[in-house]
Parts: sequence; structure tokens; C-alpha cells
Amino acid sequence: MTGAPLLSVRNAARHYQSGETVVRALDGASLEAHAGELIGIMGPSGSGKSTLLLICGLLEPPSAGEIYIRDRLVSYPGADLDKLRGFRRDHIGFVFQKANLIPFLTATENVSIALEIADVEARAARGYATQLLGALDLGHRIDNRPSRLSGGEQQRVAVARALANDPPLILADEPTAALDSVRGRQVMELFRRIAVERSACVMVVTHDPRSLDLFDRVIELSDGRILSEPSQPVQAHP
Amino acid sequence: MNLAIKDIRFNLARFALTALGIGFLLMGAIGAIGLYRGIVADALLVIDHIGADLWVVQGERVGPFAEGSSISSTMDRRVEGVEGIASVRRFVQFSQQFSFAGKVRRATITGLDYPRDDGAWFELKAGRHLEASHFEAIADDSVGLPLGATIRLAKDDYRIVGLTHGLVDSAGDGLLFVSINDATAIASRRPSEQVLLARETSGNAAPQGDGASPSSVPQDSKIAAVLVGLAPGADVARIKAAILAWGDTNVLSSAEQRDLLLNQRLWRLRLQILAFASVLLLVTAIVISLIIYTLTMEKLHQIALLKLLGARNSAIVAMILQQAGLIGLFGFGLAMLLSHLTFPNFPRRIVMLPQDLGIFFAILCVICLVASWFGIAQALKVRAQEVLS
Ligand SMILES: Nc1ncnc2c1ncn2[C@@H]1O[C@H](COP(=O)(O)OP(=O)(O)OP(=O)(O)O)[C@@H](O)[C@H]1O
Ligand SMILES: [Mg+2]
Repeated sequence: MTGAPLLSVRNAARHYQSGETVVRALDGASLEAHAGELIGIMGPSGSGKSTLLLICGLLEPPSAGEIYIRDRLVSYPGADLDKLRGFRRDHIGFVFQKANLIPFLTATENVSIALEIADVEARAARGYATQLLGALDLGHRIDNRPSRLSGGEQQRVAVARALANDPPLILADEPTAALDSVRGRQVMELFRRIAVERSACVMVVTHDPRSLDLFDRVIELSDGRILSEPSQPVQAHP
Repeated sequence: MNLAIKDIRFNLARFALTALGIGFLLMGAIGAIGLYRGIVADALLVIDHIGADLWVVQGERVGPFAEGSSISSTMDRRVEGVEGIASVRRFVQFSQQFSFAGKVRRATITGLDYPRDDGAWFELKAGRHLEASHFEAIADDSVGLPLGATIRLAKDDYRIVGLTHGLVDSAGDGLLFVSINDATAIASRRPSEQVLLARETSGNAAPQGDGASPSSVPQDSKIAAVLVGLAPGADVARIKAAILAWGDTNVLSSAEQRDLLLNQRLWRLRLQILAFASVLLLVTAIVISLIIYTLTMEKLHQIALLKLLGARNSAIVAMILQQAGLIGLFGFGLAMLLSHLTFPNFPRRIVMLPQDLGIFFAILCVICLVASWFGIAQALKVRAQEVLS
């Protein structure tokens, strides 16, 4: 990967005060991520994967260190991240273990809400949402509410929602944990496609070693520190 | 896309039940205030409509509503002689039970000074006003007598020639108008045994006593008041002074009668109903606040998600306010509907004044706003990452 990194994490730490002791959820992690990359984040439970994602996603400020997106300093200790809501909307899409769909909205509406929040006109939002769902093989499900969708379908709607505003950075925290291996693989392949076709940077936290082949590289976390960065060579993908 | 409406449509049954619950609560509060208004309106019906400027009543008493009053049935002639008085009418009113169609009925018999007064001061819903000085009656429909029915009061039969609607006394008993002579005759009804006994003890005294005869009916051949209509430009103070100077009479203005009734006789009842209405309003306020607050609390997860998606605070506030507003609006609408459907069937008059309803609506709006405000405060505090919890 060449050019300026999309995301640059510099020496980020996140400490939580837990009673008398301090939990070092993240303990000085640095990384750079580029457009078009699919990055796996792995590591044992409690190693700080989710924390890293929260900090990259501008949902928590770091206790130390800085986060740059496209060379702009966006997060640092004490940053008021609520002010970055608009920025986050335009730059970052999230997918979590649970799809977190709004139960009273149909699949299309769950996607178009993200667009309408970004001031896209309702009809256009609907159109694009339908199109996105179609591209994720959910064309036959657009008018169904989440309760009528399978777990994998729900997760794909969540992915469509994360993609709605065409964010350059997509962060996914164990998006396949609740899915069986076939559906999990489908979602991972979807991320692969998104990275290539939309030249987005996708960072996926996963425990599943079976998707290793899809990643451009894997960041290994242990006790809040990055072990293997940079390690794996960038694989070629079609 | 309007999230508030989408949510409501998704949970339609629940929304309907919530609105219905609020509607019933509001209806209770509206009913309590309406009952209060109704009691006052009923109490003032006769005073306000009978068209008397002054009431001449028994001396040292403030009758006939706040206290008993018994004056000679010929007092009207004496009053008529006072300068500045344009018209006089005799008035008497008392409760009476009788049976009709095998059931006991209650009515408040009111004497009309026929032919000076045939009842033209009240509206009829059917039939006609009095046209004879004896054995005709006009009944309020709440007494439950049909037009043309014949009822027996004391020793005579009376025919119902007219029907009124909503003419009741301060206790809610329907008025039954008869001529004043009939009314005094009904009031002085005594069992024949009592007449015989009275004759024996007083040694062949006249059956119609002179006021000293023992009777459970104090109006014995007496009337309660003389209603005075003043001539234009009459000197009220002088007329009052002249009548008071007789010593055996008291004289009250209509305004004084109103005041006596509302602030003396009905004071406790009014206070009681107002207290109940306040309690009901308070309960309504608390329940509505709780409902709206919990509705918002339930949505915190979705609100966090909206924040994660980058929704502005204004969009979140709008959603909460719209939902609260819709619940309030539908609740109020249902309360209106229920009130208009049920209150007319209540035994006592429930008066729903537009200004009262306006105040209720305003209070409801304030409740919805305050409750939403608490919800909004929570919603704005919630952090986007709480989606994950
Ligand atoms: N809000 C918090 N307060 C206190 N401690 C926290 C908090 N969030 C995370 N931690 C701690 O920080 C450490 C890292 O947590 P994190 O959620 O990042 O781990 P993880 O790698 O995502 O684990 P898992 O694979 O189980 O999801 C853990 O020890 C966790 O207990
Ligand atoms: Mg985690």
C-alpha cells in the first residue's frame, strides 16, 4: 500500500480505572491502515481488540496517543467525541456482533435511516438502500422487519447500513460470531469485496481463523499491545 | 422517515392501549371538574333563571336555599305595596317522594305563582307551560315521568302537561312545577289520623292550623319567599330598608342568594370535589409522565444506535417529543370522545366548559413536555457505544 494512510493510530493507550487497579485495555498501540485493505484483528479475549476498535471508531478517546484520519488529528486524550458525530457519520461505518437493527423499521428503512441522518432526501435514500440490499443478495427481503430475517440476513442489513454513506473506514467487531460458519464466511467475503470494490479500509475483529485467507494482514493483540505489526505480507487479491 | 410514527405503527396495539389509559385518566379528571361545574350550575339554575331582583324571606333567616324560610302566603300583597317594586311572585320549594309506575320517585316541587308565572322563564322540551291554576304539573325529564302521565301528590291527581330538561335543584333532584296553591296544598298534606289527633288535643280547633299546630311540614300553608322584580330606576337600598323595617322579613338580592348557596351551603361539597379533581389531575400527571419517560428509556438502545449512525441531537429530541405529543394528543382525543359519550348518561350534570378543556389540554402539553424533557436529558446523555452493551 502506498500513499498517506487513511487511519493512523499513534501510540494509543486506554486505561480503565477498576477499583484500586488500573486495567490497561490498550497499552501503546500504533498502526496504519490504508484504503482498500481488509485487516483482521485477532487476539485472546481481553486483549484489547474491542477497545482498539472503539478508539479507532472515535467512540472513546484514548488515554494517551493520537488518532489521525486522513492526516487530520481527530482523537486524543480528552477529545470531545460527541462533536465528531457528523464526522463519524461521513467517515466510519460500524458492524457489531449483534446487528442492532431498529425493530420497527424494514430492512430498507434500517439502511435508508443512515442516509436520511446524513440529509439524503428520503426517496433517494430509499432507492440507494434498496440497491445496496440488492447488491448484498437481500433484494427479496427489503420490506421485511428484522424479526422476519435470519441472523445472517440481519447482519448483512447491518453491513449495508454501515456502507450506506460510503465511509472510507469500516470497523467490524466480531461480525460473524453469531453466525454459522457458512454465513460467517459469506459476511467475511462481503467485507473482502467491499474493500476491493469500494476501496474502503475494513478492520474486522474476529476469533475465526478460517477467514485468515481473506485478510490482507492480521494485527495480533495481546495484553493491549500489538504483537505482529507489521508481519504478514500483503496477499494479492483479485 | 418519521421514526416516532413508524414506532407507533409497529406497536399500534400498545400505543392504542396507552392512549386509552391516558384517555380514561384524563376523562376522570375532566369528569371531576365537570361535576364541580355541574353542581354549581345546577345550584344556580333557579336563582339565575327565575328572574328575581330581590328575595323576601323569613325574618332573621337567609332562606330559602341556605336555610329554611317560611312566610305567610299573603306576604306578596304586603311587598307589592312598597314603592319601586314592579312585580311580585310567590315561591315555594320542597322535596317530595311519590310513586309512579310502581317505583318511588323523587322530585323537588316548585310552586309557580300562576297566573302571574306560568313557567315561561324556563324552556320546555315537550308539552306546554301551565294553563290552569290546579292539577297541572311540569316535570323535569330526570324525574322519569312521561308527558300526559298522571301522578298522585297528597290527595290530588296531577297531569304532566310539560317536560323540561336539566332543571334540577342543588342536590340533583328534578324539579316538578305546580301552581303555588297546589304546592302549598301538597306541602300541608297530613295523615287523617294526625288531623283527628290534632282536633282532639286542641278541642275542635280548625284543621288548618295557624302555624302553632304540630306538623312535620314546616311550610304548612306557608310559602318560602316572595320574588321581587324592581321597577326601572328603583332605589334598591330604600326598598330593602323598607322591607327590613317590618321586622318579620329579611330581603336578599340574587347575588346574595348565589353567594349563600355557593359559599355557605355547598362550600364543603365544592371543596371536596375540587380536592378530588386535584388528586385526579396529580395522578394523571404522574402516570402520563411515567409513561412517556419509560417509553423514552426503552428506546435508549435505539437512541444510542442513532447516535452511532451520526444522528443529530435535534433528530433524537424531535423523535421523543413527537412520540410524547402523539400520545398526549390521542389520549386527549380519546378523553374527549369518552367524555362526550358517557357523561350525558351520568346521574348528575357534568359541565365541560371549553376553557376548562383548554386548561386541561395546556396542562397535558406541559406534562408531556416536562416528561419528555426528563427523557431527552437521559437520551442526550447516552453514549453511542452503549449500542454494544
Ligand atoms: N469500560 C471498561 N471498564 C473497565 N474495564 C474495561 C472496560 N472495557 C474494557 N475493559 C477491560 O479492558 C480489557 C480489554 O477489553 P476488550 O473489550 O478490548 O477486550 P477484547 O479483546 O475485545 O475481548 P473479547 O475478545 O472478549 O471481546 C479487558 O480486560 C476488559 O475487562
Ligand atoms: Mg471484544
